[in-house]
Amino acid sequence: MTSLDTAPPAAGPRAGRPFPISPHARRGGLKGGEGRFGMLLLLPALLAFCVVVLFPFLEALGLSMFKYSIEMTGPRFIGLDNFVRVLSDPSIRQSFIATIIYVAGATALSIALGLAWAIILHHPFPGRDFLRGASLLPWVMPAVVAAFLWGWIFNSRYGLLNAAAFELGLIDYPQAWLSDPFGAMSAVIITKVWLSVPLFMAFFLAGLANLDRDQLDAARVDGAGNMAILRDHVIPHLKPVLLVTIVLGMIGNLQHFDTIYALTGGGPVRATTVLSIEVYRRAFEQWDIGLAACVGVVWVALIMPPAFFYLRQMMRGTD
Amino acid sequence: MVRFVTGALVAAALAMPAAAADVEFMSWTITEDGGKELMQEMISSYEEKTGKEVDGIGYAWKDINKNTFLRARTNTLPDVSQVQARFLPTLANISGILDLDEVFDRAMLEEKFAPGFLAFGEVDGKQVALPWVGGTIGMVANKLVLEKAGIDKVPATIEEFKADLAKIRDAIPNSVPYAMATKNNDSILLDYLIWVWTFGGDVIVDGKPAVNSPQAVEALQFMVDMMEDRDAAPEIDRPDARRLFGQEMAGFYFDAPSAKGFAANFSGQGDAYAVNLAPMATPVLNDGDTPQSIQWGHVLVMYGDDNKSADSDAADFLMHILSDEELVKLAAAKGVLPSTKSGQAAEPIASDAYLAAWAAGAPAPKRNTIASLSNGAEVSTIIGEEVQAALLGQKSAQEAADAMQKRIEDAID
Repeated sequence: MTSLDTAPPAAGPRAGRPFPISPHARRGGLKGGEGRFGMLLLLPALLAFCVVVLFPFLEALGLSMFKYSIEMTGPRFIGLDNFVRVLSDPSIRQSFIATIIYVAGATALSIALGLAWAIILHHPFPGRDFLRGASLLPWVMPAVVAAFLWGWIFNSRYGLLNAAAFELGLIDYPQAWLSDPFGAMSAVIITKVWLSVPLFMAFFLAGLANLDRDQLDAARVDGAGNMAILRDHVIPHLKPVLLVTIVLGMIGNLQHFDTIYALTGGGPVRATTVLSIEVYRRAFEQWDIGLAACVGVVWVALIMPPAFFYLRQMMRGTD
Repeated sequence: MVRFVTGALVAAALAMPAAAADVEFMSWTITEDGGKELMQEMISSYEEKTGKEVDGIGYAWKDINKNTFLRARTNTLPDVSQVQARFLPTLANISGILDLDEVFDRAMLEEKFAPGFLAFGEVDGKQVALPWVGGTIGMVANKLVLEKAGIDKVPATIEEFKADLAKIRDAIPNSVPYAMATKNNDSILLDYLIWVWTFGGDVIVDGKPAVNSPQAVEALQFMVDMMEDRDAAPEIDRPDARRLFGQEMAGFYFDAPSAKGFAANFSGQGDAYAVNLAPMATPVLNDGDTPQSIQWGHVLVMYGDDNKSADSDAADFLMHILSDEELVKLAAAKGVLPSTKSGQAAEPIASDAYLAAWAAGAPAPKRNTIASLSNGAEVSTIIGEEVQAALLGQKSAQEAADAMQKRIEDAID
């Protein structure tokens, strides 16, 4: 007879366990079961990732080592020749420079203006809610529509900018803003900034919502001016948001294609040919799929560091 | 339960792919104003006559090559497709394209098509396409613009041309006297080729680039001078030129005979506007020189081994759109030459003064030598970029020509 409050004698692999394990128990215990269930839940997303992202990327990676253009019946393996060409071709190097200028300009301006606009809209004033809503309009607008809108503003013959400059007597002949390298790059950056500011503003507004007003009042009592408050209180408070927006802005601008293509097509000459345009032109205008894939692979490699940084920030946030 | 079953049936019906058409026909004319209705009529008349179903797939002109390539990669090429003749060498090796000599009887083709036209569809001795409509890319003038500028006849020489451009510039504020292509690489190439030929040069000589020859540099300098004198303007692509021309803001530009249709649209006056168009010979450097122009045409290709017979639906549809009834209607409306002998002899075409004037202005059209290179697209881009750099003042004509020469040498090496 075995006492009810006495554990059965341990034997074999169960030695040392206080209770016998049911033969129907899950392998690996409750935690193992949860893990397997978790994997099961992950499976659809994993499958979608493999089909939509991983497989095309691996195919592009493979194609980057082939010579493959429209007039060829099939791809021909050329090893790393495409990578050598990407690194040595001056026109492709120019695309990297254009990308850096575009990403730096569009990201910095979007963040600066988004922050400024968020600070303005953080303060209460009549009509603030309406203005907050209206500020989101550019973000809602399809990018290509925005590009055509700005295209007409900058158009040399019918553009709003030229009309205004004429009226003010600043010019006596239409200026072709989009035919000047600086003008074209400025135009594509301005268009992207116009599209991005609302989103960044929303991020910053959310961050400002839990800014301690007492702290600001105390700083003002101590004689701090607006710039000091911004520098010593607002920006430190928004630092996590700022980091995320910088990284998201960089990733988004590195990937950006539609407004640039619609506005300038990468021109004049190659002034606004960023990497996304370079890939498109190599693939669908010059039909050099191997080289396009190679530029794409290098482009992905460029996006990886900010993406990694962003993911690390996110993971830290969830810990 | 009934609601659930009904819902499931509706969902299943929606999810089921539509039955495939008997013939898939890909074309850019289907998407264009003035072409859409004609193409639809052409398809409908075939469907009514045969009971077959034709799926007309439309893509914009500049997207058609890209979509052909993507469809080839996914084995979804259409049965019949419209192709710009100058892009044919690029597409000739695409997987699935048919040698039409294996589909149709060669003697029948030679009997059907006008002399010279059948060659439009040939690449390396293989008949990969049949000609549809053709003509040349040459210069066209707007009589109303010339009238406003006090010009009573079209210019015959470069010198007269320059003088007329100045008159238009001074008479019509904010105008672009010559709507030279300055934006899109493919468009820039055509204007550049014609001027290089006009100045006695060529871009490829004996298989080697010759874009920095004195003649070619002189031609490029001539284009640059027009920009500096504000006889031409930046940001102009062919569609912009057509719009400016139809709105009487441009006096001259290069186009195919289909310029008539575009002018009709952009003027807002329809076909009645055609009388204001003056097809003309490209101005020559010296009296007695041959005016330059480029061969131009649309061809039709067939894809898929299933269509490798003259009895196939695709071949039948192809012959339908090449029939006099359909072809003459299209050619007359668009102001272009039909490719067939009987089509050209038909009354609406033979009596068309506009087409006759166009043909007279282009007595010796040349083939687009760049397009016939296997990597013509890359070379076109190089030429477009370097010409644009010179036109926009980023490089001198000589610097741009030297850079172009070096880049083309590397590209065709």
